[in-house]
Amino acid sequence: MNDRLHQAFAAVEAEQELKEKTRQAIARRTKGYKAKPRSAGWAVAAVCSLLLLVLGGAGGKLFFTPVSAISVDINPSLELNVNCFDRVISVEGYNEDGQALAQELNLVFAKYPQALSALVSHELVQACLKDGKDLSVYVACDDPQRGREMLGQVKACVGKGRNVNCHAGNLAQSHSAHSVGLSCGKYHAFLELQGLDATFTVEEAREMTVREILQRIEEISGKPATANGHGHGKGHGGKHGMQRE
Amino acid sequence: MAIEQYANLVRRLCLVHLKNQADCEDIFQTVFMKYVLSTAAFQDEEHEKAWFIRVTINACKDLLRSFFRSHTVSLDELVDLPANAAEDSREVLGAVLDLPEKYRDVVYLHYYEGYTAPEIGQIMKKNVNTVYSLLTRSKKMLREKLGGEGDE
Repeated sequence: MNDRLHQAFAAVEAEQELKEKTRQAIARRTKGYKAKPRSAGWAVAAVCSLLLLVLGGAGGKLFFTPVSAISVDINPSLELNVNCFDRVISVEGYNEDGQALAQELNLVFAKYPQALSALVSHELVQACLKDGKDLSVYVACDDPQRGREMLGQVKACVGKGRNVNCHAGNLAQSHSAHSVGLSCGKYHAFLELQGLDATFTVEEAREMTVREILQRIEEISGKPATANGHGHGKGHGGKHGMQRE
Repeated sequence: MAIEQYANLVRRLCLVHLKNQADCEDIFQTVFMKYVLSTAAFQDEEHEKAWFIRVTINACKDLLRSFFRSHTVSLDELVDLPANAAEDSREVLGAVLDLPEKYRDVVYLHYYEGYTAPEIGQIMKKNVNTVYSLLTRSKKMLREKLGGEGDE
């Protein structure tokens, strides 16, 4: 199908008459005028100003560098990027509800526990929980100690409901997840299902909820998914470098 | 000259949005006039090409939204498919034009221009996940109409 689409578009070309008419119209309307590009001096001045700002605020880089991410999936799917000061520096929605929620809630610069509490107590998330949907929270962090601390905080924020799952993993997995357009939590579930069913694709995962993926894992394997942390007490590791509590 | 370099790109984007030659001529003049009057300093050719894509899509949408047009264009206008195109190409283009409008740009940019979803998101100022969704759905719809396995 790719080749057919490519050939079909290649068959469309601008007619000579159309190009000629455009040339004439432009010549008529501009009388040969052509705007000059902005002077390079402006660009140099802008770059110098930026350089001063960057040098002056070395701490700014530190502040705006994410060292961990918290992925929340229920129906809204979104991710909080957190810096080394435990502040949320950006929020990314991974579906329409997630994008709407990210815009509605002002979570940037809040401490992540407060941001997460605000998120979980939002009426949309509460309605999903009441409907029996699973809340999956995934902490991605390369520092295991910090990851464990964050996971503890996250659990304290979201509570221990029957349908609440909290996991932790590394940022590499978070980057892989983003490269295919999935949140960390969903990507982890995707990898687990793909391990059981090699035909399962990212496109299919995109169209499914985390709960649906976990259900399919349970149907195939006959046991609860690794990515499903329902009431299993403590545990670390897991097939994809995930910690589960 | 920019017209020679980008005319085919603008023509193809016109095809996926517009239904007649007169509108296409309007868009050509709008886009290339903007280019002539633009003071933007492009970093490289890719930057310039992305500018043309964005400006053309916006110009098409503005035209379709305009009051005059929305009250004067009949629904049964014929689409200007290239007369010299092979039967298969006409069928494929027909299937693309049957897609809802929001899918057509991403189909063209991905399948013909070879842009990835993140690149399309950047050019069209859309969330990358939205682009992935549009591509997945359009691929499914095109497969239903044309058969085949999608990304082969």
